[in-house]
Amino acid sequence: MLLRAKYRVGPELKFLANLDMMHLMNRALRRGNIPYALSAGFNPHIKLSMGTVLPVGLWGEQEYFDLELSRAMDLGEFMLRMKESLPPWLEIKQCWEIGSDLPSLMKSINAAAYVFVLQAPALNLDQWHAELLARESLPVASRGKKKGLVKDLRKGIYKIELLEDDIPKKVEFWVSVGEPLNVRYDELEELLLDTGIEKKTILDVYRSGNYVMQGQDFLTPSEKVK
Amino acid sequence: MKDRLFRDILPQVAKPARYTGNEVNMIKKDWARSRVKMAFAFPDVYEIGMSHLGGKILYGLVNEKSPHLLERAFAPWPDMEEVMRREKIPLYALESFRPLRDFDLIGFSLQYELSISNVLNMLDLAGIPAWTQDRDDSCPLIIAGGPVVFNPEPFAGFFDAFLIGDGEELLLEFLDALEVNRELSRTEKLRRLSALEGVYVPALYSVEYNEDKSLKAMIPRFSDVPPMIRKRVVKDLDDAYYPVKPIVSYMELIHDRAALEVMRGCQRGCRFCHAGMVYRPVRERSRAKLEEQARQQLQNTGYEEISLASLSTLDYSGLDPLVKNLVRDYGEKGIGVSLPSLRVDAFSIELANEVQKVRKTTLTLAPEAGTQRLRDIINKNVSDEQLFDAVTAAFKSGWLSVKLYFMFGLPDETEEDLEGILNLLQQVKSIGDRYSRRPVEIRASLACFVPKAHTPFQWRTQNSIEELEGKRQYLFKRKRKNIKLSFHDSRTSYLEGVIARGDRKLSAVIYRAWQKGCKFDGWSEYFHFNWWMEAFGECQIDPNFYTERSRAYNEKLPWDFIDIGVSKAYLYEENEMAKMAETTPDCRQAGCSYCGICPSFEINLDIKEANNYAFES
Repeated sequence: MLLRAKYRVGPELKFLANLDMMHLMNRALRRGNIPYALSAGFNPHIKLSMGTVLPVGLWGEQEYFDLELSRAMDLGEFMLRMKESLPPWLEIKQCWEIGSDLPSLMKSINAAAYVFVLQAPALNLDQWHAELLARESLPVASRGKKKGLVKDLRKGIYKIELLEDDIPKKVEFWVSVGEPLNVRYDELEELLLDTGIEKKTILDVYRSGNYVMQGQDFLTPSEKVK
Repeated sequence: MKDRLFRDILPQVAKPARYTGNEVNMIKKDWARSRVKMAFAFPDVYEIGMSHLGGKILYGLVNEKSPHLLERAFAPWPDMEEVMRREKIPLYALESFRPLRDFDLIGFSLQYELSISNVLNMLDLAGIPAWTQDRDDSCPLIIAGGPVVFNPEPFAGFFDAFLIGDGEELLLEFLDALEVNRELSRTEKLRRLSALEGVYVPALYSVEYNEDKSLKAMIPRFSDVPPMIRKRVVKDLDDAYYPVKPIVSYMELIHDRAALEVMRGCQRGCRFCHAGMVYRPVRERSRAKLEEQARQQLQNTGYEEISLASLSTLDYSGLDPLVKNLVRDYGEKGIGVSLPSLRVDAFSIELANEVQKVRKTTLTLAPEAGTQRLRDIINKNVSDEQLFDAVTAAFKSGWLSVKLYFMFGLPDETEEDLEGILNLLQQVKSIGDRYSRRPVEIRASLACFVPKAHTPFQWRTQNSIEELEGKRQYLFKRKRKNIKLSFHDSRTSYLEGVIARGDRKLSAVIYRAWQKGCKFDGWSEYFHFNWWMEAFGECQIDPNFYTERSRAYNEKLPWDFIDIGVSKAYLYEENEMAKMAETTPDCRQAGCSYCGICPSFEINLDIKEANNYAFES
């Protein structure tokens, strides 16, 4: 049996690296006596595959993993046992049984949303927002494999939304991830700094979602299940 | 504090998960309701400190079994230290995020001589004076335990008290006594605590030296202060506390697995081995207890591996059924069993294959020396044939990689012994080539021998850095193809040797070295040998006094006042036998070797299972 789960990684766990998260999940599966399937080979491992890597320093509202079980299990029971074995800052929100023909999360997720929480910036955020969207190019120093090169984020930013009128303000970027253009959160942060937002006013950054973009639609990996 | 750390501080440093706490199974006790507040401080980075079994035992013991509280602190890595100093963040405990200065007591675990510079650095980061005499009643008491404190004298200037021996036997008693005497002045408090067996308060002793700088006398300042400090011993491991719900870290540790302590102590009597002398006698844990602890630990942690820890795991009398049962019960879930380095004479291919059923590991064997003569001198009672039999069986069973542990710079070592190491490695390689279908990998780790206090070699000289370097080059130049040799740093070993048999005068040198910037001395990238040498020069202390001088039997040694139960007469006899390359057999198999521990502590070897030998072939 294959299942897909949506989970929240709370701010308490934002400094975990991807491997740490894998260990945490693996150990929770063992503590919860979940009938996980094991790979064959010299060093058998649990058949768990995580979605895109949550960067160190960020927490996540809607993350995903796929898990293969060695036998069928009631999904409610799975969630209950995982709730008992996971730390309170990591919560499985929903899960679905999936078919083996569904592409992996890594292959299908191609968009993400990042939220920057800002404390009363000195500039007019509405004006800043309008100007940013009007620009034809948004160059920043690349942070990934092509470190040092200038990277234009414009094509990879699908939309920028101001989420709340109250303070603190929230700016949400919907961006492309993976190939051909991977927009990283730290590159977005640099964009903010380059366009007048002060570093000290950025209170928090988190990933609000992972998506499968089809045409103009942003589908969640759970919607792809259905 | 925590908000500031999470928002402003931790994003600036590497591996921030070292500093966040809140791990699975962490215990956070109510501060106001807890009586004595103690911080367990490990003078190395988080992933090393969290691998340490002793710390897990004490953490669970205090928090689960007493009204007191124990929180954790580790040495921040230099990048974090820099930010902490810049932002004026004091060293804090991971449970409550309170500064260490708020605690009643800070207990350091000293596992390695050179970690002392990190102790001073941690005290400084906590805003606590390094020297005991500079602390007032508002400062926490600073204590230490662990294997290094069987010779506590080099560190006497920095610690208010040392706890000698098995910590779980003494710590709760110490905390209770501290609670009772809480209102007394610091000096009075320490004097009361010194009455507890196993507690050494250095300020209560005056030390005199001879003209030749050797120790003349160590005299208690008051009549009620004991002249000898007797180590504390857990008599029955089955009755001792053991944590079955240890903290599971988020980040990967050096030893990231469930640990079963199958026994404590070792009766083999290797003459170089500090742990083998100071942790006598052998006390086993019963198999039923171990299996229950394994079940509970795995349920509570979710670990994918169980390690069977001890000084000589193959000697555990119940090993055969224990390993088989663990593999039977947990193998299907992908949970493996691991063993530390193995004795060549007790090696069993059946055991190794059993362990391999779940996870493939490298086979690690410890012949220690290259010739039979030298192995007899150090009392490592294994033969070339046993080694060849072991590796033949391993290669036939499909192993492709073998790691071998050796030492060099051993007493009475000759060129022939070094050549012997190379010959052994070559023969192991040849056996591998003969029986394996693919090229085999042979790796050897060569440690510099450091004579330690309380061992038969405590009177011997240590090879100089030049001698060790000469031997290293000799080995390296003659090594054969496809054999990898890795050497310990001779300068680190030299310094370790100075401190291991040092006296109270070394506190000044240690302090000076720390002032110059020494820290993380066990990490090659941070080790500054020249700063240490400058510190010796400025304190007008010759480090060679501690390493290159052989001691006379009638010399008073700085650690003689620590009673480990093993008699000095036995150590003397063993050293004399070493000179004649005569061996002493394992007392478990050949009868009492009269080391003195059993009558002295009114205790016996505690062998729990019927089998007195290693894995059945």
